[in-house]
Order: sequence, then C-alpha cells, then structure tokens
Amino acid sequence: MLIEFLEVSFIFLTFLMIAYLIRHYLFTLTVLRNSKKDKTEGIAQNKAYTPKVSILIPARNEEHVIERLLHRITELTYSKDKLQVIVIDDASEDATGKIAEQYSKDYEYITVVKRNREEGGRGKASALNAGMQHAKGEIILCFDADYYPQKNIVEKLVKEFIDPKVGAVQGRVVVLNEPQNIVTRLVALERIGGYRVDQEARDKLGLVTQFGGTVGGFRRSLLESLGGWDETILAEDTDLTFRVYLAGYRVKYVADAECYEEAVENWRAYWKQRYRWAKGHMQCAFKHSLSVLKSKNLRLVEKIDGLLLLNVYFMPVLILFSWIVGVPLFFLKFSQWIPAFWTVAVISLYSSVGNFAPFYEVAVGAYIDGRTRAQWLIPLLIFTFLYNIPICTKALLDLLISKLRGKIDNHWEKTPHTGNGNCYIMNHAKTIKR
Amino acid sequence: MRHLILGFTAGTIISLIFYYLFQISGEPLKLLILFNFLFVSALFPLNGSLRRKLVLLLAGNFIGFLWNNILYLFAFSAAEHFGVIFSTLFLILSPFLNLFWIVSFCSISLTLISPSKSKRGAITNAY
Repeated sequence: MLIEFLEVSFIFLTFLMIAYLIRHYLFTLTVLRNSKKDKTEGIAQNKAYTPKVSILIPARNEEHVIERLLHRITELTYSKDKLQVIVIDDASEDATGKIAEQYSKDYEYITVVKRNREEGGRGKASALNAGMQHAKGEIILCFDADYYPQKNIVEKLVKEFIDPKVGAVQGRVVVLNEPQNIVTRLVALERIGGYRVDQEARDKLGLVTQFGGTVGGFRRSLLESLGGWDETILAEDTDLTFRVYLAGYRVKYVADAECYEEAVENWRAYWKQRYRWAKGHMQCAFKHSLSVLKSKNLRLVEKIDGLLLLNVYFMPVLILFSWIVGVPLFFLKFSQWIPAFWTVAVISLYSSVGNFAPFYEVAVGAYIDGRTRAQWLIPLLIFTFLYNIPICTKALLDLLISKLRGKIDNHWEKTPHTGNGNCYIMNHAKTIKR
Repeated sequence: MRHLILGFTAGTIISLIFYYLFQISGEPLKLLILFNFLFVSALFPLNGSLRRKLVLLLAGNFIGFLWNNILYLFAFSAAEHFGVIFSTLFLILSPFLNLFWIVSFCSISLTLISPSKSKRGAITNAY
C-alpha cells in the first residue's frame, strides 16, 4: 500500500513538473515570436495622458544607495508639477533620513515621512501603507531604494493606465552590478528569465502578470478599495497582484520601462532574500488558491496560470520530495514505470534551474537580449537551483510550524545594499552634488 | 516552424543512425534522444542559419556519444574498484552528469548562433 502511494505521488509530481516545463516552453516561444515587434509606438499615442503621480520610496538603512536614486528622481523627464515623491524613512539608524531630508529641502516635490522605532521596521508593506497616507497622485508608483530608473520611466509606466481595465503596471528589472561576482551574474540570468521571458509572455498571452513590488504601480482608487498592502504577508507584491486580478483588473507589463537594481552580492544575502520571497509566496498560495479557483473575474487559462504561479515556490520542495521517493522506488524495482519516470523527473529537475525558469527560457531571454557571454554561465544555474531547495523547504516548514502554533512569524529580513553598483553608473561621481 | 520540423526530422535520423551504426541502446540512447529533443526545441526556433544548427546538432550527438562512452568506461572501472557504494552513487548522479553536458552544449551552441550585440550597453541608454 505504501509503495503504491509513493508511486502515485511520484507520477503525480512528475506530471506537475512537466506541466511547468510545457508552460515555460510556451512562454519562450511566445516571446520569441514577439521579440521583433516595435514597442515604442504606444508612448507616442498616449503622450497626452499625464496624471498626477506619487512615487513611494520605502527606505530602511539605505545610506549607500538612496542618494543615487533621489538624484535620479530629480532627472526624471515627467513634469515635476505632476510629481510627488515620498521617501519613507523606516526608522533608519544610518544617514538615510538625513540624505532624504536634504533632497526634500532642495526639491519641493520630494517629501520625507519619518517613522520612529515603534512604528518602523515592520517590513515594506507597513512602510508603503504609511507613505500611501500622504500620497495625492491618481497613480501610485513604487521604487526600492537600490533601484536606478530610466529618465522617462514614469511616462512609460503611466501611459498604460489609459486602459481602464489596467489596475497595475510593472516595469522590467535589470541587474546593475552584474559584473561584480558570480552571484550577481547568476541573479542577472534569473532576472532575464523572469522578466524578459516570463513576464512578457504572460502579458502577451493575457495570463497573470506579476507585480514585482517595485518598478511598478497602481491606480490609487483601486489600491484604496483593496485596502492597501497586506502587512501580514511577506510577499506583499504577489498578494496585491492576485487581489488586483480577483477584483477584475489586470497587471500590465511594460518591457521597455527598465530599472536597474543592485542584486544581492553573496550567498548569505541570497538565502535571506529568497527565503523571504519563498515564505511570502507560500503565504499567498494558502491565501489565494481557493479564491482563484472560484473567481468569476478570471478565465480558465488565467486560473491555471495563476495557480501555477502561486505554487511555484513549492516546486523545489516537491522536487526534493520526488527525489527522496524516487530513489527507493527505483532501487526496489517495484514498478516498471519508475525507470522511465526517474529520467523524466531528473530532466524536469535540471530544467527547472534558476529562479524557477528552465534553462531554455533563460537561454532564449539572453539570446533576445544579445547577451552572448552571459549564455556561457547558464549551466551554473544548477547551483542556484540546488540552493533554492533547502531555502524553500525551510520556508515551508517554518510556515507550517507557525501555522500549527497559531503564531504569525512575519519578521522582515531586509536585504543589505552596499552601493557597489554605483561604479557601474556612468559619471555617477560627477553628477551627484554632495 | 520549418526549422523545428527539419530539426526534429534530423534529430530522429541521427538517433537512428547512432542506434544502427554504433549499436547503442539503453541509457546512452535515451540520453541522445533527450539531447536531440531539448536541443531542437530550444535552439531551432531561434533566428540563424539552418546549416549551422544542423552541424551543431550533429556535433552534439558525437560529443554525447563520446561522453557516454568515457563516462561509462570510467564508471565500470570505478565500480570494480570501489564496489556497490560507488555504483549506487553513480546511479543516482549519472542523469545529473549527463544533463550537465547537455545544458552546457546547448548554452555554447546558443552563443554560436546568437547575434553579438550586448545588452550591457543598456545602462548608457538610461541617460
């Protein structure tokens, strides 16, 4: 009986992996087909749409990077009369507050919301909600402090809101400090798979495009009606994505609205960041899976894609489980099916390397971007994939334990930013005044 | 689409040639079929010369054939020397080792059919 159970589990898991592989292959083909189309035509058409925009920048101990972003904000081409920038100093213990205050004095459209130790340090969602109370724009955009946007990014993002069905927008994240070391190079490859292929394909196919928490924004009226960011969820971005879709709106991906991020620089920081993402994503899966299935605002394909997206962080755990189950089944030779499925499972396992994008997806993303040298590193994504197995397993176990205990453990482990990406921005030292 | 169809046809023919000419079967044959499937699915839809893709596909099959032979020769010798523990370990890890060369070969092939421009220039576009 136990053997049959293990066998059925193994076969089910293998089919699940194949479903993800087919999904990603379809994404890859879709993006390949669309890669030649001109993406700039939309800007010219919607140039007249220039609503009041509020940009929220949550910052906690970001003294190494905040000035880079604030200086960039002053260079944005969007009319400053229609721009409000709110820096939320989330109980920083370094010079973040001072730097932001200085910019606030020099530029009237920049304001600082200070949070003391009692209010602050409760995570990004909490900081964004605090900033939201001061926002006056029709459109709310969010940027993390370590990001560096294109000068005309606001125009590119905002133009999509002319469509009343668009509730949120998401731009493309590109790694700024990619040449720094092997970790940043691998993260850059993951981002290529995630944004250049995944997000773009989901958008083109009318599936569930994900709001990534930064380089994007919302219609203010919608955000207010949804009650802002959920502070009990670690992946507040994924949570909001699904709330937007469940409310009958959609998230539009704007591929040419690029923003440069400072990626994590070492494996320890990678662990902390991915652990938070995994745990938050799993919280969202528990919270939204049933609602997605029942929703009348989502088409069948959106429901399927939504469920696959919601549950993607369970995959490394399931692969580990299928590996553990597969070994005894293989050796004990209880079934004629297992040797064949064993091979398939391993194909799926390896093909799922990177940030849950199979190798061919990352490869094609790099190909479209013309990143010839980066393609040489694709086999090394196996290490990030293997690293994600204990990360996601620990996240799931911690989540289950906290649920059993009835205690919500939502400690926000902040990703440290060293400012090492500054040297990759041309003339950075010359352009920053202070 | 034409490249995909031609690629799958070529992959099938190459696999059959290897099967009859070199008498390969079992795990090595399965891996060659898998390589042909992955290589054609991932690389043949891309822009680029069909001839170059076919040459790379053929080269990949030869490399895979050599890889399998060398790996299994090594594995049999090592199993004789180290016994059942090595055999068990090898059995668990061999699909991994095989897939490692498949992904590596696909990545290298991609660089040979890719355009040479670099996206790193994009940061200058931000100004």
